[in-house]
Amino acid sequence: MIIIDELNKDTEKNAFKIRTFIKRKVQDFKKKGVVVGVSGGIDSAVILTLAVQALGNENVYGLLLPEEESATISTELGARLCELLDVSYEKVPITPILQSLDIYAEKNRIIKKTCHEYDSDIHKTSLVLPALLNNDMLNIPSIRLVKDGEIIAENRLKAKDYLELIGIQNVKQRSRMLIQYLYAEKNNYIVCGTTNKTELILGQFVKYGDGGVDIEPLADCYKTQVYALADLLGVDKEIIERPPSPDTWSHYTSDEDFYWRMPIQIMDQLLYSQEYALPIEMIEENTELSEEAIDRAKKHIDKVRSAANYSVSPPTICYLDK
Amino acid sequence: MEQIKEEMMAYLQNKSFMDSGTKLNDDDSLTMKGIIDSIGLIELIDFISEKYSIDIPEDLLTPENFDSINGIVNIIQKLTK
Repeated sequence: MIIIDELNKDTEKNAFKIRTFIKRKVQDFKKKGVVVGVSGGIDSAVILTLAVQALGNENVYGLLLPEEESATISTELGARLCELLDVSYEKVPITPILQSLDIYAEKNRIIKKTCHEYDSDIHKTSLVLPALLNNDMLNIPSIRLVKDGEIIAENRLKAKDYLELIGIQNVKQRSRMLIQYLYAEKNNYIVCGTTNKTELILGQFVKYGDGGVDIEPLADCYKTQVYALADLLGVDKEIIERPPSPDTWSHYTSDEDFYWRMPIQIMDQLLYSQEYALPIEMIEENTELSEEAIDRAKKHIDKVRSAANYSVSPPTICYLDK
Repeated sequence: MEQIKEEMMAYLQNKSFMDSGTKLNDDDSLTMKGIIDSIGLIELIDFISEKYSIDIPEDLLTPENFDSINGIVNIIQKLTK
C-alpha cells in the first residue's frame, strides 16, 4: 500500500461530501450562510471555495483578520481569493484589541527576558522546536531572533515564560473568534472552521480561538488531503505553495518548525498508519525512515495527542443523575 | 548520588502527576508513565538548572538524560563535577 496514494484518492468524492455537509449544516441550524476567516493559507482557501460551491457566493462572507505581526502577503492573498470567488469580504484588523490588552508589550517583555539582545525595531522573532527525525532531542521550545533573514540567537524558554507566551499568543486567535461571531450573528450566519484532521489530532488549534466555530468541514481530512482538494479546486498556486503557519510571529514560523517537527507528508503518513494500525515494514517502506526514527516520531505523536485531549474536550458537564 | 535521587523523587512527588501509589523504577520513562508531560518536562529542566546552578547545553537535552531518574541523576552528576 502506498499511503500517499490512499490519501490522494477520492478527492472529488471528499469535495462533494464536504459541500453537502456545509449545505446541510447551514439548513439544520436554520441559518442563512457562513462566515469564514480567510487567512491567506490553504485550509481557509479550500473551505471558502467549497462553501461558495455549496451555498453560492451571496451566502458566504470572508473576514480578513490581520494583526501587527501577520505577514502582509497573507492579507493580499486572502483578498485576492475573495475577489476571485466574488465573495463579500471585509478586512478587520485585530491589532487594536491586542494593543488594548497589552499583548505586544507583554510578548516583547518575555522575548527580551529570554534573549537579552532583542530589539523589536531590529529583530523578527519566532517560536521553534528542535527537528525530530534526525536527532532525539526533547520537545523544548526556543525563541529565535532573526535579523535580515539570518538567525542571530536561539534561546530556550523557561516554563513559566512559555506558558505566559502561549496564553498571550492565543489571544490572537480568540480575538478572531470574537469578530467572526460578531459578523455571523449580524448576518444570521454560522462560523465555519478550517481545522484539518492533522491539526485536530495533534491539538494544533486554539481552544475557543480557531477551534471556536460551529462546523468543521475539513476535520476528517489530513493536511495531505487538503492539498489534494486545493489542486482539484484550482486554488491559487501561491497559496498552495506557502509553508503552512499560524502566522502569529513577526518571523514567519512554519507548522513544521513549531508543531510537526517533521515534514507534513511524513506526519500524515505516520498518523494514517496509526489510524489503520499498519505494520512497521509498511511504514518504513512508505516513509523511508528507519525503525528507530519511526519509533521516536510515534512517541512524540503519542505525547502530543495525549496533551491534545484537553484542547478537543468540550466543557465537561456534571450530570446529576449519573 | 542517593541525595540527588531523593531530591528528584521529592520534586516529582510534589510537582508532577505522580501519586503516592505510583511505583517508579530508576529506568522508567517519566513521560511514557504519564508522570510528566511536555510542560512538566520544561519545568523539570528549569528546576534542575536552578537547584544545582547548572547551565544545560542544548545537545544534552535528550530523553536519555532527562526522561528517567537514572538519566537525570547521571546528567546532574556529570554537569556538577
